[in-house]
Amino acid sequence: MSGSEVLSTLLASEVRGDILVLFHRNPGLIDTVDGVARRVGRTTIAVISDVRELLQLGVLRQKRIGNSEVVFLDRAKDRELLDSVASHLKTVRIGGEK
Amino acid sequence: MAVRARESNSTDLHGNSESVSASLTPDQRFAAEKAFSSVLVNTVREAVGNALGHNVLEILTSKGLLDDASNSREFDRKLQSLFGNGAAVLERIVVKDLSRKLGIRYDSEARLDYEKSLETAKEVCFVGSRLK
Repeated sequence: MSGSEVLSTLLASEVRGDILVLFHRNPGLIDTVDGVARRVGRTTIAVISDVRELLQLGVLRQKRIGNSEVVFLDRAKDRELLDSVASHLKTVRIGGEK
Repeated sequence: MAVRARESNSTDLHGNSESVSASLTPDQRFAAEKAFSSVLVNTVREAVGNALGHNVLEILTSKGLLDDASNSREFDRKLQSLFGNGAAVLERIVVKDLSRKLGIRYDSEARLDYEKSLETAKEVCFVGSRLK
């Protein structure tokens, strides 16, 4: 996936932006999807598809703790993806020209 | 209901905007403009940094994203050229953080008017300056 595609995926919705900000501000956060939803002031239904997209992209990972499925930031993958976004943005000139 | 409350809040602030600006001395107005610009730039830095990381923030800063950040139209144009549809997401993050810092009600369900939201935030800064 190119840096441009990663960027589009990361900023595809406001909910996704909120989830990203939550995990970047709290990189050690481990919580259920319900908990993540509460933390960004939404319902589980409102965040579930965005959490799935971030899991698919690899920014978030999922594991089972006791009876709960929890999600957490994959810091290495996150850094790798954000580096690809940074490389892409280096080639973009503000104003739209490449 | 929440949408109405937000609109009402914004309208009230805009309704007072001329009297608020007019009641400030030039020094107060300059200080208020400076204070608002500083809060806004810091908020944009935090929003971009928290969403996309500090490497991205530094690249965008070096490209002049934050030059004249208090000019909402220009900032919006720059964000659009860099992020396309993602610009709206970043603008919402900025407005949400700015609202939290200034104690302004934020309604995530309401349609975002970035320019109007910044005007509202600026008026809140002006009111704060007048009260000092």
